Amino acid sequence: MTMAVGAATVARARGLWLAPLILGLAILAGTAIGETRLPFATVLRTLANHLWDAGYPVDGIEAGIIWSYRLPRAIVAACCGAGLALTGVVLQALLRNPLADPYLMGLSAGASTGAVLVTVAGVGGGAISMSLGALAGALLAFGCVVALARAVSGGAGGGRATQAAAAIILAGIAGSQMFNALTAFTIARSANAEQARGIMFWLMGNLSGIRWEDVASCTLVSLVGVGLCLWHRRGLDAFSFGADSAASLGINVPALRGTLVTATAIMVGVLVSKVGAIGFVGLVVPHAMRFLVGTRHDRLVPASALAGAVFLVAADVISRVIVPGQVLPIGVVTALVGAPAFALILVRGARR
Amino acid sequence: MRVDVRDLCARIHRTPILTDVSLCIEAGELFGLVGPNGSGKSTLMRCFAGLRRPSAGRILADGADLARMPGRARARRIALVEQQADTTDRLTVREAVELGRVPYLSPLRGWGAADAAAVADALAAVEMTGFATRHWHTLSGGERQRVHIARALAQSPDLLLLDEPTNHLDIRHQLSLMALVRDLPVTRVVALHDLNQAMICDRIGVLHQGRLVAAAPPDEVLDEGVLARVFGVAGTSHLDHDGSRRLCFSHAL
Repeated sequence: MTMAVGAATVARARGLWLAPLILGLAILAGTAIGETRLPFATVLRTLANHLWDAGYPVDGIEAGIIWSYRLPRAIVAACCGAGLALTGVVLQALLRNPLADPYLMGLSAGASTGAVLVTVAGVGGGAISMSLGALAGALLAFGCVVALARAVSGGAGGGRATQAAAAIILAGIAGSQMFNALTAFTIARSANAEQARGIMFWLMGNLSGIRWEDVASCTLVSLVGVGLCLWHRRGLDAFSFGADSAASLGINVPALRGTLVTATAIMVGVLVSKVGAIGFVGLVVPHAMRFLVGTRHDRLVPASALAGAVFLVAADVISRVIVPGQVLPIGVVTALVGAPAFALILVRGARR
Repeated sequence: MRVDVRDLCARIHRTPILTDVSLCIEAGELFGLVGPNGSGKSTLMRCFAGLRRPSAGRILADGADLARMPGRARARRIALVEQQADTTDRLTVREAVELGRVPYLSPLRGWGAADAAAVADALAAVEMTGFATRHWHTLSGGERQRVHIARALAQSPDLLLLDEPTNHLDIRHQLSLMALVRDLPVTRVVALHDLNQAMICDRIGVLHQGRLVAAAPPDEVLDEGVLARVFGVAGTSHLDHDGSRRLCFSHAL
């Protein structure tokens, strides 16, 4: 038994070293592959020039594409993938519902509405940034969903935890429908045809506007998210048998739920304001990782963050190269990959 | 653990569920809680577990007020086995039992030898050691209930609460589970539906419409009058050939 534990620890330690390597390779691939074919050597030289002043002679335009356009884009894609996967992990654990994800809970829809109200309808008169609008929208949507779920399940009290979890998903569906309608209404009222097309593109997930100034906030929220989830990993584990069971294990359930769900809403708000509402990452990645590494959050949290990051970088690369001369919205790619993957998970889950 | 309940009241949406319950449970005792549906058994259990705040009155655990005890400290002393706690997670039996060590772990304090020993002891106590690597969803109802008890025992509690642990089990698992509970060396409070199962308790408390109407050894409490008044059935108490008492029920009143 000691040997088995030792082997597992060694394997985990090895995995720990592997994680940054895989992530680095994914980001490198995201930087090297794109609509414009660039030699791999140029990519490496450009990176070397910027990272440690190597002083290689490279073409200015190519260097610009690589350093100012592709690299920040790949980093933000990785951060968004990690963040969205984590929000799925958190919501699925806390609500005891395998279908919980920021998309279904209406968080993404609320964030979209907030962002569209600020950019298109001009709410706030330029004083409010799009991120702030999206954040407010996400929090508002979450507040609506929780209030509705409470009204439905009669106070979400005590032993009715399961019923409350079902109610919150139904409330989430109602909430996202309403916020999507609000978004469509705002676009129809205030945007011209060109704007509308741009916004529809953005709503399905679009990384083409990403520059270096977007990297800091995305990196910050996803790193803080990973740290917060790891800090509360045992609390998340304790929810395995429901909220009452967690409470009897000494977990302060309202405080933990409040902290992690607020953090989730902030993450979604920031990420959606940068890249739009990308679906399926939060739903599919945590399920896939549970199959691979189990349900314990000390492994599930880092594994989901890493897998989400790699998945979204890969999806971004595919969205740029699959149709020559055209960039697809990344949400299209994640849904095309995610929906069949999710069906597979459901079927396998039902069969076991 | 000695548990002192003083003038306890609890209400849900202004409906009183428990009214002036006063009770003392001695250390090491096996105390049964019986009563018809809706008499307040589960609510009293949830008050004991700290999941519900009483609207009035106090519960003292070895003299310390339960309402003022932090969650983690409480979970190290009081463990609860719920009626039917299920999960969709692909947990192994060992992982489920390891959850019992959550109150002893912090973000910075990792898993240690003492935790592993507590889990191994808990699995052995419910005779589930051989099941440690099985997955939760492959277990039968009786096995699941044993794992829940092991999880509770891994908390190293001074007070073990079991809320109708034999519900939905077949008769063999009911009897073996009650035999297991009878022999555990810890203070136990068990909410029970089956009055004959309650006969093995040291003392039982009878709840009727949120009030505690009796608390004494089962032989003294469960007579024809209580069966008729509280449970609404006609029944008699017989002395079995092995000297224990058996209840026979004939019809609802």
